[in-house]
Amino acid sequence: MPETRKVFHEELDELTSSVVRLAAMASEAIQSGTSALLDFDLAGAEQMIADDRILDGLAHDMEERVYLLLARQQPMAVDLRTLVTIVRVAHELERIGDLMVNVAKATRRIYPRELDPKLRGIIDRMREQATAQLQVAADAFADRDAERARALNDMDDVMDDLQKELFRTIFSFPARDEAAVQLAVQVALVGRYFERIADHAVNVAERVPYIVTGTLFPRDALDATLTEA
Amino acid sequence: MSTDVSPGTRAPVRVWQGSDRGGPEAGDSATPGGPDPEMAGTPVFDLQALNVYYGKFRAVRDVNLQVRAKQITAFIGPSGCGKTTVLRCLNRMNDLVASARIDGTILYHGHDLYQPSVDPVEVRRRIGMVFQKPNPFPKSIYDNVAYGPRIGSMKGNMDDIVEQALRKAALWDEVKTRLKSSAQELSGGQQQRLCIARTIATQPEVILMDEPCSALDPIATTRIEDLMQDLKSEYTIVIVTHNMQQAARVSDKTAFFTAEVNPESDTRTGTLVEFDDTQKIFTSPSDERTESYVTGRFG
Repeated sequence: MPETRKVFHEELDELTSSVVRLAAMASEAIQSGTSALLDFDLAGAEQMIADDRILDGLAHDMEERVYLLLARQQPMAVDLRTLVTIVRVAHELERIGDLMVNVAKATRRIYPRELDPKLRGIIDRMREQATAQLQVAADAFADRDAERARALNDMDDVMDDLQKELFRTIFSFPARDEAAVQLAVQVALVGRYFERIADHAVNVAERVPYIVTGTLFPRDALDATLTEA
Repeated sequence: MSTDVSPGTRAPVRVWQGSDRGGPEAGDSATPGGPDPEMAGTPVFDLQALNVYYGKFRAVRDVNLQVRAKQITAFIGPSGCGKTTVLRCLNRMNDLVASARIDGTILYHGHDLYQPSVDPVEVRRRIGMVFQKPNPFPKSIYDNVAYGPRIGSMKGNMDDIVEQALRKAALWDEVKTRLKSSAQELSGGQQQRLCIARTIATQPEVILMDEPCSALDPIATTRIEDLMQDLKSEYTIVIVTHNMQQAARVSDKTAFFTAEVNPESDTRTGTLVEFDDTQKIFTSPSDERTESYVTGRFG
């Protein structure tokens, strides 16, 4: 029998493509924001901050498109699950962009002081790890691959270890003056931003099994929690 | 549960003893110690391997499902999937079609609805039906509602019976000053609520609804849907609807039927694909065919 809701499903497919595009923009923000920080590139940092408005715009546009489809099409089953997931996932990706804006702003605050090569090395590895996690999350979403999505939890341990390593390294430098303390705080915050970015990637991936199976959270566990509360 | 049921009250356990309008008696095997038939969630209908034929043509095959008390059960599916046919079996309306017959079993409170000793007229009093097109009699509003109780010699004050039925059907306030007016002066939505009142007046346990809103505008539709939620506390409702969103809005359980094409004869036989909580059917159905239907990936 012929498909009866072709136009609606085309719009749904476009939204799914937009999620992939949003993830690509977030990934690009991670690259350009980190490069600006490590290269002392203030112009690059400003450009990254400006570009984030485009990412925000796409995320907000997607959100509106989802609400319109919910109101006008009354989606069911996998379509409903996909749409509500898109709203969540778009928000997570938008937050990644916002955190990279924070990294870019840290560039301005750190400038013109130099970063120790050890710190630069760890931050560069954090960039790689965040990028890799985001890639896995985006692929898992695009391919509706719940197994790949679950692999992200293990990957996230690597990011947590990197953050600890960064903090240890910061503490290994003597804070001789206020300027040194300020630098240490900025670098610690940058580490925290990357760790949060990786968490957002995990959040994206965590939504994928819902699209596939329809189970959002195990009901028994929810009931137990609510009973305790 | 009390075994003393005064005349005129519902006693769903003993449908088939036609003229016996009384309630279950002491010693009736269906009552003492058994599940309270009035209780929400107890099975009212149990369809076991139900097949429906019109002559040699099998219209519906192998339906197994349970309808539970004081729930709204929706039958959905494309045209020709057998949903209305199955609904009409539940109060033996198909008996009126000469070539129609069933095999398999329909249990009503554990008793075979199609046993020869069962009086189909009594069945239809206990299991009322509201049709697609509002079909009031060409009589006054009052007489429409009083019609069933009168021919059934129901005891009690007729004015009270009529008022109660109209109140339960959320129509009383709109018609109380013109009960003697012709029912055909009412709007479509009011006529349909009148038909619901007419059904309620005979004190049924179950109300079958065959596309009750398909001839109504959206406002009248939402009034009927609200009314169904009110009626659910007292009645078991089974509704056939073409409107998936309506099933999603109003029902507790949903049965999805589809039509299978018989390659050798180019005819279609309806079959039950999936029966589950409405929430499950519309958020994450188990069967791919249900998924395809509710998402509009096939017509």
